[in-house]
Amino acid sequence: MNERNERIHGVACTFRKVSDVFHAAEKVRDAGWKNWDVHTPFPIHGMDQAMGLPRSPVPRLTLLGGVTGFITGCLLTWYMNSYDYPLIVGGKPYWSVIFPFPVLYECTILFAAFGTFFGQFIFNRLPRHNHPLFDLPNFARVSDDTFMIVLEARDPRFHLDESRNFLQSLGGQEITVIRD
Amino acid sequence: MSTSSPHALTAHWKKFLAVGVVALAVVWWFAFAGVQHHDNRQALSVLVGALFWAAVLIGMLMLTMITRVFDAGWAPLIRRNWELLIAGLPVVILVGIVPLAFLPDFRHAVWYWTDPAHILPGGHEVGHDPILVAKSWFLNEKFFLVRIALYVGVFGLLAALLRRWSFAQDTDRTAGHTHRLHAVSAVGIPLGAVTLTMLAFDCLMALSYHWFSTMYGVWFFALSIRLALAVTVILTYKLSHGGWLDGLLNQAHRHVLGCLMLAFTVFWAYISFSQYFLIYTANIPEETFWYNIREFDAATGLKNEWWGVSMYLIFGFFLLPFLSLLFYRTKIVAGRLLAVAWVILVGGIVDLWFNAIPRQVYDKSAPEGFVVTPFLTSSLFLDLLAIVGFGGVVFALFLRGASRQETIPVHDPRILESINYHE
Repeated sequence: MNERNERIHGVACTFRKVSDVFHAAEKVRDAGWKNWDVHTPFPIHGMDQAMGLPRSPVPRLTLLGGVTGFITGCLLTWYMNSYDYPLIVGGKPYWSVIFPFPVLYECTILFAAFGTFFGQFIFNRLPRHNHPLFDLPNFARVSDDTFMIVLEARDPRFHLDESRNFLQSLGGQEITVIRD
Repeated sequence: MSTSSPHALTAHWKKFLAVGVVALAVVWWFAFAGVQHHDNRQALSVLVGALFWAAVLIGMLMLTMITRVFDAGWAPLIRRNWELLIAGLPVVILVGIVPLAFLPDFRHAVWYWTDPAHILPGGHEVGHDPILVAKSWFLNEKFFLVRIALYVGVFGLLAALLRRWSFAQDTDRTAGHTHRLHAVSAVGIPLGAVTLTMLAFDCLMALSYHWFSTMYGVWFFALSIRLALAVTVILTYKLSHGGWLDGLLNQAHRHVLGCLMLAFTVFWAYISFSQYFLIYTANIPEETFWYNIREFDAATGLKNEWWGVSMYLIFGFFLLPFLSLLFYRTKIVAGRLLAVAWVILVGGIVDLWFNAIPRQVYDKSAPEGFVVTPFLTSSLFLDLLAIVGFGGVVFALFLRGASRQETIPVHDPRILESINYHE
């Protein structure tokens, strides 16, 4: 138990105003931090840019899912209608791109939705049952009236004392060390 | 940034008008000469040119009302340009479609169901066609002319109301105009939808009156919005480089226009394909002939020119814009969005050609008793000239309006939200 508590997750500090946390985030970004996060009770427009976050990679999995779905639909209809049990319906060819097109695009949409849904889980690292931040006594307040910046220990820039001082220089209050 | 005022553009309105009037005079002269020689193709150029701009402006009228009803925060900055442009909608119908419908020679040439002596494939006259007799409660000349006049009236009224109260707000700063325009738009959307559906039935579907598609109005709506958005992207790009949107149009505005372009590209494809798919599946001769003449020669079974046009619609008008617009960067990088807008604009012209031009022309010597109007003729240039002509008139009215009204709706309650719009 004691040994586990030696491992440090990171350092957290709180802010009381949107403009403070916004400008602090810009400074953390400019200092080159990669593993850090901002917690706010509501979305702050422009925070993505202030944090230097790239676009979400989820759309790539959506596209991959869509292409997979289209191909799956083609194989499905071709296998059933033209290969396994060739059947003429309404004088149409065994297989063409026209008559099964509703199947093809429905499969495209379905698999693209799967790609988005499961891609979101993958990139958000969900499901996750607990998080070290939940042990912070004042963490519940970031869903109420407080903003929080957390610098994580896995970032190569992390050094306990320097990071603490850095947060202090940004104007952060209630600087707390979070243990795993 | 140019040193001249952002409104220096408006001084050019007379040049636009001159180009428009000269081009339309040439097109009408060719149409007149063609009709004298029993050739309707030049008259169809007038129809294609008028319908192209009617589609653009109907799309803008609908977008104006839709953004009003949904209180779209991004819209006011861009919507003012639509409000300035839709002044041209009744004018385009009045200068293009009304003369075609009301002058008997042109009416008979364009809408052959109005000419009882017109010979159908097979050698029968239109006047003795039982299909026309059955449809005559709707397809009779008197009702047809009343409807054409109604299109001018309804679109003219909606455009006038939407413009009037929006412009009034610039001077009297009353928020009540926004509520009033909200109410007008709520009534105007279904009214506009019915009117544009009837316009598409009368001006395009009835060109080949044996054929019918209940999705035709929705197809025309989808095409209208696509063309309206393409023109909006091109126009706002131009206006943000030395015009009144310089420094105001931002990435988020492009993004929202790009998203709408993507949505309506998919919607157009969905409607166009569904129309084809239902006719293909049901396989009823009264419906399939419309697609058959657009694919192959009836006697030989070989693909004709229209097959190439339909392939262009699938790959050039749907797949290319669709795949490009899927990418986020296409929607925010000004040059890329502009390129897609041009692709959609060209595709829209091709789609109008596909719908308006091909018809079965009686020919006793042909094996099947008819020939199909070819695609590749010199009249394509006349079509483009007609588009330039009507476009000149539309933009002359736009620039003249811009010189008299505020080009930014400065007292719209949502103007700050619109200017500071972000993703």
